[in-house]
Amino acid sequence: MIRTGTRYRMLALFVAPALVVYVAFAVYPLLSSVGMSFFDSGGGDSTFVGFGNYVELFTNPTTSERFWNALVNNVEFFLIHLLVELPVGLLIAALLTSGRLRRSVGLYRTLLFIPATLSVVIVGFLWRLIINPLWGIVEFPLLGNEATALPTISLMSVWQYLGIPMVFLYTALLAIPDDVVEASRIDGAGAWTIFWRIKFPLIAPQFGLITILTYIWTFNGFDIVYALNGSAPGPNYSTDILGTFFYRSFFGSSGQVADLDLGGTVASVIFAIILVTTAAYFWVLQRRLKTYEL
Amino acid sequence: MRSRLAPLATLAVAALGLGLAGCAAGGSGDGDTTKIVLGTWRTEDAAMWENDIIPAFEKSHPGITVEYAPVDTNDYNAAIQSQIEGGTGPDVIMCRPFDVNRSWIEQGYFDSLAELDAVSTFPETALAAWEGDDGTPYCVPVASVLAGFYYNTAIFDELGLEVPTTQAEFLDVLDAVKEDGTYTPLALGSADGWQLAYNMLYQVGPNAWHGEDGRLGLIDGTKKLTDPDFVEGFRVFDSFKDYLPKGYESISYEDMTQLFTLGQAAILPDGSWQISQVTSTGLDVGVFGAPPAAAGEQRYQQEMADMAFGLNAAGKQKEAATEFLEWLGTPEFQQLYVNKLPGFFSMGSEPVSYDNPLAQEFADLKEGAELTSRLALDRLSAGQPPLDDEIWRVAQLMYNSGLSPEEATAELQKGLDSWYTPAG
Repeated sequence: MIRTGTRYRMLALFVAPALVVYVAFAVYPLLSSVGMSFFDSGGGDSTFVGFGNYVELFTNPTTSERFWNALVNNVEFFLIHLLVELPVGLLIAALLTSGRLRRSVGLYRTLLFIPATLSVVIVGFLWRLIINPLWGIVEFPLLGNEATALPTISLMSVWQYLGIPMVFLYTALLAIPDDVVEASRIDGAGAWTIFWRIKFPLIAPQFGLITILTYIWTFNGFDIVYALNGSAPGPNYSTDILGTFFYRSFFGSSGQVADLDLGGTVASVIFAIILVTTAAYFWVLQRRLKTYEL
Repeated sequence: MRSRLAPLATLAVAALGLGLAGCAAGGSGDGDTTKIVLGTWRTEDAAMWENDIIPAFEKSHPGITVEYAPVDTNDYNAAIQSQIEGGTGPDVIMCRPFDVNRSWIEQGYFDSLAELDAVSTFPETALAAWEGDDGTPYCVPVASVLAGFYYNTAIFDELGLEVPTTQAEFLDVLDAVKEDGTYTPLALGSADGWQLAYNMLYQVGPNAWHGEDGRLGLIDGTKKLTDPDFVEGFRVFDSFKDYLPKGYESISYEDMTQLFTLGQAAILPDGSWQISQVTSTGLDVGVFGAPPAAAGEQRYQQEMADMAFGLNAAGKQKEAATEFLEWLGTPEFQQLYVNKLPGFFSMGSEPVSYDNPLAQEFADLKEGAELTSRLALDRLSAGQPPLDDEIWRVAQLMYNSGLSPEEATAELQKGLDSWYTPAG
């Protein structure tokens, strides 16, 4: 066999390219933006201010109000995704694997996944036309009303990315061996019982994974809101989420000067929110989920 | 294994070598031409600059070549800041008006242009948007945009309407269109806060707060947004609420332009930059400015300084760049520029003629009117909360949720008081 020394050298060789790219384009920018958040670079030179920018973010009445507003909106954005995508995705995955569709399974699977491959700008534009009070199908200004604007945008995004949880659940359902299902059928179980008592427990771990992926994805969300409502998403910041709040701080808006330090601070806070929740999920929840051996 | 990969590796190295050689060849060029780079946010004008304006400059200035290097407008500020900090900024930088530029001046990005002949061909009001605190000019003004009310002449003829000369007449015209019921009186939606502010409030308001008097009064602290003049300006803005299309809360800027160009609306409040767009469907369109409250009162016209060029203090080709900036002050450039780009107006003292009739009509709005800039872009938006962004938000709330002019101005003044100390 190969000697251990060579083994490690080869291991390093194989890992190196990915590691270099990852460090250069993911780890380094991340750390540098965290670093940025500890400095005040106004007036040409940077001075170290410790947690000064964080204190400013949370104590300045304007920035803190906008931050909490964006965070609450982001939670709503996430919950709408989760509560609509999961059940609908499950329903469609169950229908696709039920055997009722016969040969059109492939067609439906493709059709349902296509929106996920569209550009978010196209999705936003299409939906904006469909619900436009002037030329669309509803007269109510869904996007112009503070109460309905965020749910409307969330549902557009749900429509687009429905295919992703669907595919996760679909593959999990396909992976269930036929003999288990057949055995239960012989034991006298109906379709309903088979689904809830046999199939559902077997795909349950997928829900945890989908939840956490949706969480990460929605808290990094930016594009659909920006495409529809720009960097100061109205009305009255009712569709502002953390991504757009960050963009506004970092790149500025209208006549406002870009504030790189505040932007770095906001980015670090978003990173912390995602990191803490994701880590907690993996340590606490994922390990307790019951995986059945087949 | 090694031997099988060898030819591939050789090929890769050879391709890389060739590529690098190509770069080197492209980079050298002949010794006696100087290349200057223009940094701008006008990606949409690239063809015009490259085909018409730059050749005209290069023809009269042999030995200098100009490269047009646009950055998307949303990323422009951050891009220029990081380029200059990194020492790779363009030789000539397009200047944002007011606060952004002032911060760039403070950072030392620009050289003073006080010695430049081109600067003396502009009136003081034109230079104001790009001056340092001490009044030193840092940029050569290139173009401004105007705000106006486009109107569909066919609808005006059909309903027997006249261009209004007072605010009361304006509302009468809108009432007449509304009563007739065939057309939407005002093509205006509130989905985009910026355009409520820029095209409506900053256009109809100055007649009430007396243009620059009011604007500069806010800056030096002698006036407040809660003063009767400003409340009146916001009230005039609010009085147009009854003439909007159905579902206006989610009608965006593009929708309202379309509503007007399809001939379904009588009047469109918009900027001069839309001239080509509003006439694209062959409509016969005229334009009028926001009328004053009573006949014979001073009329105020919004003119927003939009583009100017400054000299990168760390640039390597300052001499050539200065020649280019001098050329921007000549009538030759201005005549060429404003006619290639209808909807943008020369800010120089020399009169310029416009081939586009609607552009000429727009330029004529400046006659007899006091010019004024957009209310909140100078100094008042350099802190948290920025007044301009707040006005977008509050203007939306006035139209969508019935916020009163008094409440709106009180809220804005409160936000401003929380950080702004008048320049004095």
